[in-house]
Amino acid sequence: MTKMSDRLKIVFMLCLAFVTTGGQHFESKVAQLLQDETEDIKCFVELKDLTCFWEEEEERNNLQYTFTYSYENKNKMACVVSSLSLLASNKTVFFCKLPKTPFFTTLDVQVFRDGRMLYSRSLNAENYLFLDPPRNLTVLSSGKEGQLNVSWLPPLLKYMDDSMIYEVRYAVEGSNMGKVEVIKVSTMLVLLGLQSDTRYKVWVRVKPDGVAYKGYWSAWTEPVLGVTQPSDLDPLIMVLVLFIGLILCLLSMTVILSHHKFLLKKLWPDIPTPEHKFPGLFTVCKGDFKEWMSQNNSSMWGRSVQVYTEELPSPLEVLSEVSLTSHGTSQREERKPVEEDEEKESERSDSGLTDRWREPPQAHWLMEQLRALQENPQSLSQSLLVQSHDTYVTLNQNSQGDGEREVDDVFEETLPLQTLFTTTGTTSLSTSHSDLGSLQQSSGSGRLSSQSSFEYPNQTWPPKGPGYTYMAVADSGVSMDYSPMSSSRITELGRHRMYTNDYKNEIFLHKWPLFGEHNKSGSESCMGPVW
Amino acid sequence: MGWLSSVFCVNPLTRKGLFALLLMVLEWTRPGLSSPLRPICDLRVLDHFIKEAWDAEAALRACKDACSIATNFTVPLTRVDFDVWEAMNIEEQAQEVQSGIHVLNEAISSLQASNQTDVLQSHIDASINNIASIRQVLRSLSIPEYVPPTSDGEDKEMQKVSSISELFQVHINFLRGKVRLLLANAPVCHQGVS
Repeated sequence: MTKMSDRLKIVFMLCLAFVTTGGQHFESKVAQLLQDETEDIKCFVELKDLTCFWEEEEERNNLQYTFTYSYENKNKMACVVSSLSLLASNKTVFFCKLPKTPFFTTLDVQVFRDGRMLYSRSLNAENYLFLDPPRNLTVLSSGKEGQLNVSWLPPLLKYMDDSMIYEVRYAVEGSNMGKVEVIKVSTMLVLLGLQSDTRYKVWVRVKPDGVAYKGYWSAWTEPVLGVTQPSDLDPLIMVLVLFIGLILCLLSMTVILSHHKFLLKKLWPDIPTPEHKFPGLFTVCKGDFKEWMSQNNSSMWGRSVQVYTEELPSPLEVLSEVSLTSHGTSQREERKPVEEDEEKESERSDSGLTDRWREPPQAHWLMEQLRALQENPQSLSQSLLVQSHDTYVTLNQNSQGDGEREVDDVFEETLPLQTLFTTTGTTSLSTSHSDLGSLQQSSGSGRLSSQSSFEYPNQTWPPKGPGYTYMAVADSGVSMDYSPMSSSRITELGRHRMYTNDYKNEIFLHKWPLFGEHNKSGSESCMGPVW
Repeated sequence: MGWLSSVFCVNPLTRKGLFALLLMVLEWTRPGLSSPLRPICDLRVLDHFIKEAWDAEAALRACKDACSIATNFTVPLTRVDFDVWEAMNIEEQAQEVQSGIHVLNEAISSLQASNQTDVLQSHIDASINNIASIRQVLRSLSIPEYVPPTSDGEDKEMQKVSSISELFQVHINFLRGKVRLLLANAPVCHQGVS
């Protein structure tokens, strides 16, 4: 007897336990549907058993109700109504359970109270599955940073394994902001993009996918905690990285400091100044070049050097030299009065652009010579006249008055010129021949830009200054013409447009400005720098 | 032919060798009709047809007055009692499914002839196509074909419906229920599984 009673007790306890567990789920489902479902009579299927329930506010006895159901309009059957008191909401619910409900067919239920129909509903049982939450939810840290492996077991329903859809909810522990992931059929999920070294709570719930079976979302599982892996950036590694960075900075600083001069030179190159060549120009004279020049050694530069800045001096090839010492001083005295006259004249005529050329007294005989020559053009062959087409210069060394009647040019220093000009009767006009006969002396070749230095012989240039030749240089672009000029004419020349680059080729149109005729029509001579 | 014979170590010069070679070649190039279909075990194929059937049912649930017709349709029973179903063997299940599909096809096809709206017509056409595809799926799973009942044998239990919406409800319920259960339990799909 005791054994039997013990066994009975055990069985009873087991049944009770089973009922309570089932009841817990059942009760929670009922409670949930009470809130969610809008129908008067609410039905759900739990483990292939259909349960329909309704709420009653007033105090009623379950025996007052009559529950009938029928499948496909066939014979009606009755079901015993039970009551349930919900502890949480303190409500009373009447329900009826239909065991082994057929699926995929229409079920008609009706509730009567005291003979009157209270509720009526027609439904398909397979559309109202209310599953239990998934079991055995486990959350494990995967090998990678910011990931968690979540897995669970599917509901124990035959034929329905592949018709389930799951929802996984996860949130940082203590936070209310959760994210939801939906997964079909599979009972495993890897959560990505999580914070490292953080505790997470994970929930899962299940529902039929709605294709073959339909139903309600199950309740959430109990939360399961999982911890993500700590991040790879160790504090030790961070410290090491900082340390190495610091060392590299120090090294680079030392390198820069040791070579800072070199680097500065490369990045910020010095602007070259000519100060070292001109001592005292910028410091004493404050950039005033004239002043500085006057202070400097005069033997180097001379006094009144007319510098024409329009053109750089062309290189002059000196083929020979003449010593000045024997002649220079003697001649200087002679020339002085001449020079003074010349200067006076030049001052007088120094009024703007004057076309007239004031003949110096010495030139008078030259004019006569010219007239004579013009009357007799044949005597030109040997030339007192400069052949306009000659384009070469020869410098011959000539001593003591060799220049009289010399066809060849004697240029160089003043001495030969003085000799030329001061000797009476004979004139050697400075004939200029440009070097390297690139052009023939013919009228036909006048197309090229040969500017002969002068065509007209009547020029007198009492040169100024000791031992200097003033030469007019015609730069034809092909060759240079050097011809002597007076210093007084230099100022006048400066006023005329002598330094044009207009190489026109009408040789005969070329006119000397020395005669006061300023050729304005096109071809003008191009004079080189005059020293 | 020379490389073929060298690959298979057959000497085509002899009669036997030639015959063997010919057999091998024919085995390769077997005519398409005789070769079996690859079994379609994935239920998502059927789920796709079920989804389309849902669309048809939803569209026709609303259409009641315009879609009602005088004649009755003979349709299969859709009820599934799991205990009963599990008790049946595969052949019985197959026969039930095949006959039900056959009847459904006839009922829906009869609608094609009658004048219907464009929406309804599209659903009818889709359903007929889907039934044909389901037949192919069943064939791929080596499910026995439908055998019309003999004159003395009893016909399977059928029901009658009077409206098009009911017809399509039966259609969807049949596909979700019996057809799906049969496909899920097809022996061909569980051969490799313990």
